[in-house]
Amino acid sequence: MTPIYLQRAALHCALGDDLHHAAQALQRGQAPQGEPFVLHEVQEPRTYLYAAKTGESLSERLDRLLAETLGVPPQTLDDCLLIVASTSLDISELEALTTERQGFCPDDSTSLNMLAHQLRQRWGFAAAFTLNTACTSAANGLLYGARLINAGQYARTLVLSFETPSAIAMQGFGALMLTSASGKYRPFHPERDGLLLGEAYAAALLSHEPGDAPLARLLGGFSACDTSSLTTTREDGSHIHWVMQQALNSAGCSAAQINLVKLHGTATSANDEAESNGMRRLYGEQMPALSLLKPWLGHTLGACGLSESLLLLKTLQLGALPAVDYASEALLPFSAEPQALAADSLLLTNFFGFGGNNASLVLQGCAQGDLACR
Amino acid sequence: MPVIAACEIHGLASMDDKQLKTALGQWLDSPPRRIDRLILQCLLAAAPLKSHVRSNCGLYLASAHPARATMGALLEAVCVQHKQPKPFEFVNSVSNAAGFHIAQQLSLEGPNLFIGAGAQVWMQLQALANLDLQDGLIEQALLLVCDEHGDFCVQAVLLEGATAGAYANSFAELSADTEVLRIKL
Repeated sequence: MTPIYLQRAALHCALGDDLHHAAQALQRGQAPQGEPFVLHEVQEPRTYLYAAKTGESLSERLDRLLAETLGVPPQTLDDCLLIVASTSLDISELEALTTERQGFCPDDSTSLNMLAHQLRQRWGFAAAFTLNTACTSAANGLLYGARLINAGQYARTLVLSFETPSAIAMQGFGALMLTSASGKYRPFHPERDGLLLGEAYAAALLSHEPGDAPLARLLGGFSACDTSSLTTTREDGSHIHWVMQQALNSAGCSAAQINLVKLHGTATSANDEAESNGMRRLYGEQMPALSLLKPWLGHTLGACGLSESLLLLKTLQLGALPAVDYASEALLPFSAEPQALAADSLLLTNFFGFGGNNASLVLQGCAQGDLACR
Repeated sequence: MPVIAACEIHGLASMDDKQLKTALGQWLDSPPRRIDRLILQCLLAAAPLKSHVRSNCGLYLASAHPARATMGALLEAVCVQHKQPKPFEFVNSVSNAAGFHIAQQLSLEGPNLFIGAGAQVWMQLQALANLDLQDGLIEQALLLVCDEHGDFCVQAVLLEGATAGAYANSFAELSADTEVLRIKL
């Protein structure tokens, strides 16, 4: 695929209210402070990783995120597609309404495309749609948004991705027994006990042109559906392996050329086992550097494809990635020391989700200030 | 776009999920269990095309709304009754659950996307599918749009091969040269 630049970007997450501060916090190994909530019925405590509370409505928050991404003065966006990639959409507002009225009225149900439509109207995008493929939503938004540019459909694509703190998500993952009781988010640890959910708002502007501060080039990717189970992928890692290989093929590079793999790493028993097996199928025992980002952001569900990619890319621009403090015990060979990689490293990033959706992207970082970035 | 098969299902608002499941049984030997209305509706439009579909096929699915009954049950359980959601209702609420079940029942191995259906939904689905067709990732693409405002209508088309021409802006335009299987439930 012809490379497409991640020209500008913004992130609000548990690590910081902007991308730069979040990346600095990650470098310092400064874990976010979670807040407790209680699982209904079983009355067990769990932890949620909130972004900074601002008192903004969702629309206000998304407008601020878009303004940060696009910069000032406001740009004309009549050449730009908007892809809203999210699983939560406006569910937190529906939850608040249901709680207030002590009941849900079917007429309160909103269109899945409502936010995309409203943002298109307010900002003047050429077109807009909502993309929802569970935890691969943002990854697919990046991949298909870039390919629509290459196909000449649009000059630019803005991928907007977010996950709000939804009570249904918190209780639902709890009901599936996928949330961590210990509050320790430890993907690939032999005693891992599940995930922590996190709140995030992320946006990236994609273009053929690098712009004045490019973060990366998207070189390729692939996405497909594993029909073996609605909630897990094949534990032998065969589907994940196939998806990673197809992503590499689309980018025209080999597994050996990859400098770092950003793992999906949910810390659920089945996902980590499957991803470990997929990695061994691709690499055997000689793996490139490995990165985990969910312990720092929480699992941001549909937004993870963008929140994790942006955080990784910005951190590589600033310096080293943090060590994994349980590296010697982990299922995969993580580094017990901070990892300093070149900002223009080749990256393979994995995102897997409910509905059998597995996606991998191939990115090349851009060094800070390197406007050519090739 | 090169359409090789198309199907359109109409159903009344009064039809309950049990009736939809019975209708689905005419097309599928073992329909999935514990699925919601949106999944049933989508399967009803996809299943009649099964004989035309090969495994190297992507799915591009759209709906204007989530399954309202599932969403209502989840909101009532969590926000009013302070109960945990039923696990099957929670996983069904993932918008791409319908896409998963179609892919599983029709043995589709390609990309599987779900988008919110707006005014340009047919053009958007064709544009997404054409990317994968043009790149040779798939040979066929199944496009499906579910619309429920009281009564419901689900339209599906099966494409084979990419197009270099303009996209159709409606199901009617897209399927104009194809015999459409129309089913009124």
